[in-house]
Amino acid sequence: MENLGLFFALAGAVCSALMAGIGSSIGVGHAGQAAAGVVTEDPSKFSKVLILQLLPGTQGIYGLLIAFITLTQIGIMGGDSNISLEKGLLYFAACMPMAFVGLVSAIQQANAAVSAIALVSKKPDQFGKAMIFPAMVETYAILALLVSILSIFGIASLSI
Amino acid sequence: MSVLPMKRVLICALKKDRKEILEFLQRQGACEIHSTLACDDVFMRQDKTQAAATYHRSAEQCEQALTVLGEHAPEKSGLLSMLDGKTAISDDEFEERIKSVNDAMQDVSSILAYDKKCTDAKAEIPRIESQVVALEPWLGYDLPLDFDGTKASAVFTGTLPGDLTLDQAEAMIKEQTPEVDDLDVNVISSAPEQTCLYIICGRKHEDEVREALRKLNFAKPPASSTNPVEAKTGLEERLGELNNILTTNDAKIKELAVEREKIRFASDYYRLRADKYDVLSQLSQSRVTFIVEAYIEERYCDSLGKYMNEKFDLIFETEDPAPDEEPPVALKNNGFVSPVESVVESYSLPTKHEFDPSTLVSIFYYFLFGMMLSDAGYGIIIVIATSLALLKKKNMGEGMKRTMKMFLYCGISTTFWGFMFGSFFGDAVNVIATTFFGRPDIKLSPIWFDQLDSPMRMLSFCFLVGIIHLFVGLGAKAYGCFKNHDPLGALYDCIFWYMLVGGAIFYLLTLPMMSSMLGIATLSAGVGKVAGVVAIIGLIGVILTGGRESHNWFKRILKGLYSAYGITSWLSDILSYSRLLALGLATGVIAQVFNKMGSMVATGTGLIGVIFFIIIFIIGHTLNLLINALGAYVHTNRLEYVEFFGKFYDGGGKAFEPFKQNTKYFTIKEEL
Repeated sequence: MENLGLFFALAGAVCSALMAGIGSSIGVGHAGQAAAGVVTEDPSKFSKVLILQLLPGTQGIYGLLIAFITLTQIGIMGGDSNISLEKGLLYFAACMPMAFVGLVSAIQQANAAVSAIALVSKKPDQFGKAMIFPAMVETYAILALLVSILSIFGIASLSI
Repeated sequence: MSVLPMKRVLICALKKDRKEILEFLQRQGACEIHSTLACDDVFMRQDKTQAAATYHRSAEQCEQALTVLGEHAPEKSGLLSMLDGKTAISDDEFEERIKSVNDAMQDVSSILAYDKKCTDAKAEIPRIESQVVALEPWLGYDLPLDFDGTKASAVFTGTLPGDLTLDQAEAMIKEQTPEVDDLDVNVISSAPEQTCLYIICGRKHEDEVREALRKLNFAKPPASSTNPVEAKTGLEERLGELNNILTTNDAKIKELAVEREKIRFASDYYRLRADKYDVLSQLSQSRVTFIVEAYIEERYCDSLGKYMNEKFDLIFETEDPAPDEEPPVALKNNGFVSPVESVVESYSLPTKHEFDPSTLVSIFYYFLFGMMLSDAGYGIIIVIATSLALLKKKNMGEGMKRTMKMFLYCGISTTFWGFMFGSFFGDAVNVIATTFFGRPDIKLSPIWFDQLDSPMRMLSFCFLVGIIHLFVGLGAKAYGCFKNHDPLGALYDCIFWYMLVGGAIFYLLTLPMMSSMLGIATLSAGVGKVAGVVAIIGLIGVILTGGRESHNWFKRILKGLYSAYGITSWLSDILSYSRLLALGLATGVIAQVFNKMGSMVATGTGLIGVIFFIIIFIIGHTLNLLINALGAYVHTNRLEYVEFFGKFYDGGGKAFEPFKQNTKYFTIKEEL
């Protein structure tokens, strides 16, 4: 039990990849169903609805990003893996914004994406606007990503 | 940066030239027909919608035939064929090909007829197959299934539910009909769900037996007037026939696949004619003359008028649109800016009170896209791919060409930022040098700084870019005010805001807390005082003028206070530019993940390791490039639409849709 710090840090990294990944897979799945429906009617809209389907997929990537940065910082990918309990808990906390916001925002973004897909199926020329609605939701995932990244880099330079 | 000036044109010409003039205008594609004249006793409109509908239908049939051909004899097409664009044909060739249209239409109707036969056959086959299945249990019976007996005897053929033996069935029926003595029960076949039987009895007991069988849920066999074996052979013959129909018609359609080009031409030809007839119904026509009213781009006015006057007897008049009129909008920009016109268009075109924001949009578009993707390797790939496409595919459609050019410029910007931040396929240079050559000291050093090493520095830079972007937007608003002769509006809505936001930013930078967080030098207290005063003047200005449309001072100040509250939207707008950092880091870090995966496999495994490294490298970076290019595209659009346009641009103009050759497969080259 002497390396509990490492455990917490790893748990944080895993949570961010896990929860953001779950959110994105649910989101991309929903949007994919809507997109497939449009393509049955009009295969020529494939490229447009594909882009809209992929929009909720970025949260999973951000989650992976946070997980990877944490793994390199705590020495799981090679290097010194001696992490104090305090630092481990800090890493855990730093990963939480991405984990939770990633999970929820991906699902909500998917709802917006499904509606945007419906919009494109009726008015393909409004693609530019349709793309913006889901992108608005993503802002919050990006903000969470920033907070997580800045915290993780910040923790590395703390001496506790 | 310009919206093309439009003129109204009125052409009055003789009816005998009508066909030629319309075809000429269609070929030029410089006018949008816009009829306003009312009908009177002399000038009337002819209703040609019927004819137009016929041509639309013919074009539609051609498309259907082409779809059928596509299903039966798919064309070999590469992945890049979508870039091919339309085939160019000359004017003479066009005239020549018109002769083939009738042939093509015959082919179209035969293709559609063959296809109908195929669809009918395809629909019938499963029906017959199910009938064959239904006959299977009756094959042991050698009388027609609808045979109901002779003069003296009655025959019942049918099924009872459940798997019954002969004795069980007999017992069940006898139980219901105790007084019938001449009953003969026979089992033809039995399966778990039903037993097929035939029962013979004397005619005199027919009703009693029928009643008894009804109670036992006796069901009729499939309808057939021949015996089951013959019926089955008949059905199988029909199946053979149907399959035959399928193959022969399929072959016939395949034979016609060589006519594909002809049908495509016919489709375009009918589309052109339909458009012409649509226009024809909008024209005012008298007995011998007709009038075309249209919007025309000013730059074509003189040449078109001169040419038409020489060629036909007509009156060609142009005038400026009335002040209260909203002429359609067409944009014209240089090669660097025009690719982003589609970005502006998909937001909204400018109205006549606004100017074309394309130039401003284009500079920031390339800049922001590059910052978000920020990897030299990916940038070079984009540049190579788009330039190859532009060089190789000469006939590429106009829209596709612009998209390619846009990504070409974005690619150049991406390469630039990639070298600035020292990212080439992530840290590929260092990973390859370390893994394969044992030289961890070799790496691509950034020209400016590494985003991953100093994220706070990058974040400050992102905010700076954001502030510049937003201030340029505000400047554009001031420009718009001046253009509409409203210099006071520029002072109230722009200058005061510059003072307020700019002053506030400088004031914040004098606080040690802010500057240490952003990692820049703290400004001196004197600057802070000046900045504070400027900000407060701006704030007072905004409060006093923000609600200037109200005359009641109390209301006006309240509205002014509300508009000063808009400072919070400035805060969120600036923070929104942090996505430049987040997306830039995402590209870099994920590229590193793939490099790391590759190097883990490759370390100490020799040649096989090298192969695996290459495979992981290619797949991983392709994936990363696609996903992050999508992200950069979406978020660049967002920054332009929401943050930038939010400051000054509403749009709402109607696009210029000239009467032109709206074809799908061919373009006719000008020979003027």
